[in-house]
Formats: sequence, structure tokens, C-alpha cells
Amino acid sequence: MGTLIKMVSVARPRINFLRGDSINLTARAASQCLREAGIDPHDLGILINTGIYRYKNTGEPAIAALIQEKIASRNTDRNGSRNSGNTFSFDLNNGGCGLLTGIEIINRMIIHDEISYGMIATGDSEPFPGLSEEFSFNAAAGAVILSYSNDSPGFSMFRTYNYPEYSGEFESCTCFNKTGRNGTGRNILKVMQKTSYTDFCVKCAVKSLYAFLDESGKTLDDIDLIIPSQSPHGFTGRMKSLLGLKDSLVELPDGGRKVFHTAGPAFALKKVWDDKRFRNSKNIIFLTVGSGISISITLYVN
Amino acid sequence: MEWRCQIESIGVKMPVKRLNTSELLSKLKVPCIKKFSLLTGITERRVCSSGEDSFSLAVNAAKDCLSFSRYTPGEIDMIINCSITKYKDGLSHLYEPAFATLIKKAIGAEKAITFDISNACAGMLTGLYLAEKFIKQGVIKNCMIVSGEYISNICDHAIKNIKTSLSSELSSLTLGDGGAAAIIERANDEKNGIIVSGFTTLSEYCTLCTGRQNRNAPGGKMKTNAKKIHQAAINESVPIVKDALNRSNLSFKQIDWLIPHQTSRSSILSGANQYLQSFGEKPGQILVNLKETGNTASTTHFLALYRYLNEKRFRENENVMLLCFASGLIIGAVIFRMNNMVFRYGNIN
Repeated sequence: MGTLIKMVSVARPRINFLRGDSINLTARAASQCLREAGIDPHDLGILINTGIYRYKNTGEPAIAALIQEKIASRNTDRNGSRNSGNTFSFDLNNGGCGLLTGIEIINRMIIHDEISYGMIATGDSEPFPGLSEEFSFNAAAGAVILSYSNDSPGFSMFRTYNYPEYSGEFESCTCFNKTGRNGTGRNILKVMQKTSYTDFCVKCAVKSLYAFLDESGKTLDDIDLIIPSQSPHGFTGRMKSLLGLKDSLVELPDGGRKVFHTAGPAFALKKVWDDKRFRNSKNIIFLTVGSGISISITLYVN
Repeated sequence: MEWRCQIESIGVKMPVKRLNTSELLSKLKVPCIKKFSLLTGITERRVCSSGEDSFSLAVNAAKDCLSFSRYTPGEIDMIINCSITKYKDGLSHLYEPAFATLIKKAIGAEKAITFDISNACAGMLTGLYLAEKFIKQGVIKNCMIVSGEYISNICDHAIKNIKTSLSSELSSLTLGDGGAAAIIERANDEKNGIIVSGFTTLSEYCTLCTGRQNRNAPGGKMKTNAKKIHQAAINESVPIVKDALNRSNLSFKQIDWLIPHQTSRSSILSGANQYLQSFGEKPGQILVNLKETGNTASTTHFLALYRYLNEKRFRENENVMLLCFASGLIIGAVIFRMNNMVFRYGNIN
């Protein structure tokens, strides 16, 4: 009847003060997700990586291919044999909305019977520890497996709202900084977030949410759970107070200056997955916000 | 209901500056490479100079594409940026926001949904594959896939490090810059358009070609085990090509044009020989478009299509196979029947 979430897993560096390697972290979340779902890696039709800040700024191959290889190798260790299957993997970048864009792509392939299982894996870490300015994201990764269900509608409506007038509010890039003689220097990752960014994110998210609810014929009272992005810092708290919501909008504990970036919605989903609120809710909204400013929203019905 | 898809228009933007191979090789500290032009088929490549980068190439390719298109920017439903490199304002590599968001703003495609994908040299064909999914299922009516590759900066690193002809950075010397864009649309014609597209990632070969940004210098670097990746690509692609042909009810000789990823002339020709042995037949023509552009990463197939469209070499109803090899190792094939797009590029036959 629809595409449902089969499993979600998350990963953080095992030792708190370590900054983590996004590829290994994401592969760990992905492996755990497959193990808990009881699915072999080669049964995945599609693997999409939506992380942005990757280990050593790797450009090629796609990080998804490296994750695919790591999860296949871990499976080989367990079973003693290897089946590379027929997985197609690639990277997708859509800021903080990547996870939901990935889910939308996999949902379309599942409901049209092109694949049985698809995985979105996402993770961020500081590419070169110490070589960044204002990098305020936790080293963290998440993975979500989707599959077909005859029992519940699952994902039912996807919408993306763009506000290009705010595209200059958040930018990140690597630039070469000449520091020494003879033109020597470093490629530095610079994250530039204006102080007004969070306010604009909240404004755009609220506007988009009401447009989405209008189109879906639902009201905020019909929604049992909202699973949002956890960045920028302060976004979830302001959304809660502006919408007059309490526990129905999932918020992770405030970790200080650092926030969960592309894996934020996966961590929020994991929280309500473990305390069973996800399966006990009827109408669930996923709401992600990304630089651009882009807002992606989808409705999931249990 | 499932819709059919077709390529509606293609646009290209090449950098102004030309760098010929002998000039490039003269920069090597140790003159260790002979017959490079003969083996690769590359006599020159375009390289970005001041004011040119991945972003400017992508935007100008998108504008060129629109100049051949029936669509206005405001009618574009989706934009997928597919480049490996995302250099803007010189060698500043952008991570956020998505490049496609900025391209949308630059060309005035107000209503387009945007996101970026990255899949090494398979980027644009992966974009085409995703566009096809969205269009086939009626979510959108059209999609622009676009890529601007400012990848020649990798040569600068290679030039400093190549000491012998066995260097893992030798393949970096084949790279050139270029931008390409294509509009994929819902097809009303049952006969023409995309017949089949399919890809797989053979991740056991994922370390045979790796590229990343430099830590201590502008731009990036790339290391390739060219011999192994070429052999793996050819061997592993035979069943994938067979599957694509079966699904499209075509034999290999019914393919009028085979357009492989453009890496080097010798690789393409030796691959063609191995295909001949495996299939017992060969396609009409194998397109090699390396001489003046080199390997332009994710844009090579569309650069080749654009050139041959403008040279009026394609005919309506001809079968074209785009064959994709990319680090990962990604292997895939797209088979489409050439449509009336040929007439918009001046073909009168």
C-alpha cells in the first residue's frame, strides 16, 4: 500500500572527544541498520548518501560507494562469502533537506516496484580536524531503510518550498588560505551563518508547514508527531513556541553550541522509534530545513 | 500511468583558454611520458581562467541549453546539479547551499525544485536516471540536469608529482574543463526517447580511482589505477550492456552510436575490441570526442552529443547508447532513440 520506514539507526564517535570520520561513522550506522532490520546489504536496490561534510573532502568516488563497500565487507566477515548484489549508490546534497529528498527518491522507486529496499545514509564530520572556521556540527551519522508495506500507507505526500531570497544567509565552502612563505597554506572549511538565519528558517518553515497542511486537508491538531531538522541551533525550540507545541515536536537535548546537521532528523526519528511514539502515532510530519533556504515536508501515515 | 521521457535539448559551455598537450607535458619536472597524445587521443583541453569556474560553466551551459529549448526558465520543474567539482569564485569549493539552488536563481527558474547529486563521472547520467524516474511517474514534466566541471586544477598537483610513466596521477593529465546541461522532458511520442536506463555500483573496485581536495594547496588531486579500473570496467560491463540490450529488444549492431565515457582513445578502442569478442558484433559507430576537450568528467557524454548534433551527424530514429564507467565503480547504460531534437540543431534530413 505504501513505503514504510523499516529501520533507523544512528552513530556517534565511540569516544566523545574524538571528532570522528564521516565515512566510517555512516558505514557503522548503515551496518547496524541492516543488521537490526535483518536485511543483507546486497538486497538494497539503492543506497543514497546525503551527508555533506565528508572525511578529507573526498570528491570521488561517491561516499555512497565507499559506504556500500564497507557494509558489504562487514557482511562478508559475518557470512564468509560475498555477494555484491545489484546496488546502485550515489551522493545527494540538498543541505539539511538531503535526507528527505533521498527518502522521496527511494519512495518513488519502491512504490513503482523497481526495488524492494532502499537506504538513505547520512553523516557529517569535520573534514580535516582543526582546519575549519565556525564548524558547529556534531560528528554524527544516521541511516534509514525503507521498504514496501501492504499494511500502512506510509509516506503519502512530499513537498519542497524554496526561498532563494535567503540564499546568502548560510554558506559553507573551502577556501585556500595562504599562511606561509612561497605561497604555502591550507584549504580551510568556512561555515558562514548570519545571526538572522535561524529566524528566517523558522519563518519559512512555519509558512511552508501551513501551506502543506492546507494542501493535505489537515490541521495542526491532526498531526501527532513532527520530526524536524535539529539545525540551526535554536530552530526546534522556536518552532515549538511559535506553533504552541510541546512534546509532539521532537527536540534533542541541547548540546550547547554544536548541533546535529544532516543526520538530525534521523536522530529525532530514532528517539521516537525507541520510545515507541513513532509506531503509536497516526499522522507524522517530517520537516527539514536547509540552506537556500529550502524546506522539505512529507506526511507519513501509520 | 507511466510516461515516456526524452532529451529535449542540450547546451554546452567551454572555457575560452586552450592548453595543448605538449605545453602541459613540458611542465613535467621529469620528461617521462612519450606518445601521450597518440595513446590518449588528446591534443588539447580547455581550462578555466580568470572569471571561469564550475558555477559559471554550469550557468552558461544551462543558458545555452535553454536557447535550443522550447522551455523558458520559468517553466523548468526541477534542476539537478550533477558535478563533482563545485568551485565558485575561483577555487572556493561550495558545500552549502546546493549548487542547483544558485543555478536556479542565476537562470531565473523560479518554480524549479533543486538538489545536487555527485556520482563521479557518472553524475550527469545519474541525473538523467533520476529525472526519468520523476517524469515517468508524473511528478514533474521536465527536468534540467546540469554540470560544470572545473577539474583541470588536478593537473597542477599531478605535474608536480609525476616522476615516472607509472605514476598513479598520470590519468590526471587527461582532464579538461567543461560545462553541459540537458533538459529531459515527458515524451508524447511513443516511438522515440529513452528506451532503457540502468546502473550498478560495483563497490569492490571503489579504491581504484579516488579524488579529493588538497590539504595544503588549492584545488584537488586524483589517483587512479588506470589499468585495473579499465579492465574491471570492460569485463564487468558486458553483462550490463547485454541486459540493457535485452530490455530494449535491440542487438548490439542495431545501436547506431555508442558513446562511452571519454577517458582515452586507446582505452575506448581496446574496450571496443573486447566487446566485439564478447558480442560477436559491433555497433554502427563508436564516438571518440577527446581530441580538443580531453576527459571532462561528468560532462563527456553530453559534450559529445552536443558536438555531433551541431555537426548534424545524428539522424532522427537512430539508436544511441550512452555507456557509463565511473569511479565507484559505476557501470551503466542509457539507450535512447534520437528524436526531432536533431532539427533544432540545424539538421534538415
